[in-house]
Amino acid sequence: MSNRNMPSDNLDLEALLRSISEEDLKLLDPPDEVWEGIERAVKPERYATATVVPITSRRRRVRGLMLSGAAALVAMVILVIGIVALRDDPGDVLATATLLYDPENFDSLGLDTAAEVDLVAKEGKLTIHIVKSDLPSPGESADLEVWLIRPDDEGNVADLISVGLVDPANPGTLDIPPGHDPTVYHIVDISIEPRDGDPGHSGRSILRGPLVGH
Amino acid sequence: MQNTRKVTVAESDSIRIEEAFVRGDEQALRDVYLKHGKLVYTFCRRTLDEARAKDVTQEVFISAWRSRARYNPAKGSLVGWLVAITRNRIIDNIRAESRHLEHRAGNDPIDLPIDSGIEAIGDRLMIADALRSLPERARQVMELRFYADLTHRQIAERMSMPLGTVKSDIRRSLLRIRRRLEPAYE
Repeated sequence: MSNRNMPSDNLDLEALLRSISEEDLKLLDPPDEVWEGIERAVKPERYATATVVPITSRRRRVRGLMLSGAAALVAMVILVIGIVALRDDPGDVLATATLLYDPENFDSLGLDTAAEVDLVAKEGKLTIHIVKSDLPSPGESADLEVWLIRPDDEGNVADLISVGLVDPANPGTLDIPPGHDPTVYHIVDISIEPRDGDPGHSGRSILRGPLVGH
Repeated sequence: MQNTRKVTVAESDSIRIEEAFVRGDEQALRDVYLKHGKLVYTFCRRTLDEARAKDVTQEVFISAWRSRARYNPAKGSLVGWLVAITRNRIIDNIRAESRHLEHRAGNDPIDLPIDSGIEAIGDRLMIADALRSLPERARQVMELRFYADLTHRQIAERMSMPLGTVKSDIRRSLLRIRRRLEPAYE
């Protein structure tokens, strides 16, 4: 916000009133696509608990399959993590997620992009390692952020955690905050986050995909 | 003459829309857009090219919707809040663009004297908007006073109104306009 004080007395306001020109009185109609864009960005809220595009919308037809697969995956990944933890073998890839764009629900910046990430156990820590990506630049006043989503039984977003910001030019590795089990938070999401001081998910996802155990 | 502030039908309508907006009613977002989208877009268009004006207008409403919990109707008008968001987004946008251009030109960053000019445009658009929302007689009085630059006495004669009524119309209108401006100056 600006630090400017509001006009301190009526003189300022009166001066402003006198300065109003014909041009100031003329209002322009925004083109239709402006509202369409707003609606597109806001609509997903209807279905999700967070302001995040719901998971069901992505692959409605394979949802059942995906969820039963997810349950099996949970068991498998827990087992693998257990083994790895015992071995304490640094740099083991436990699972991989292919992140895809959803033209129906995601921000159009994600169009024609994709990414592949690994869940890696390294030196007792779990990390998300971005293996392959052609991430788009979010512009100068926004960042790309990686999230892990815990879906509910319906496939909606039940909860999510931020894994960190990612530089599209140099994606690298992000630590998963301790205490969050990636077999539960097993959907990886990348979103555009405007630098507006709001730490929550913006609702503008560009890519998403489930972690699949090796 | 009545000195207490009357809430006009148009104003009570705005209050209802603003309350619904804060509650998260999607229809209210549409109503707010229909009511203020032109002002926000005009502000953007006066300072940015068409493509960026469209983007920023969109961003303003999306970000206002997402941060609606932070809007406090008791503190001031929704339009003032929207214009404040718009102004900040426009300034961010122009700064980012000028940094980009400087970077490409290999020049040192310079502090562009853009902010005050942009703020003034926002102020004038918001005041013009506030004038439109005044009751008909008050609007005419304000126009005669500030466009035609007539004295209070001349206005009284022109409109066949008591001098005291002209003065109180102007005083009330100034208060009403100021109230609409307030949240833009937090």
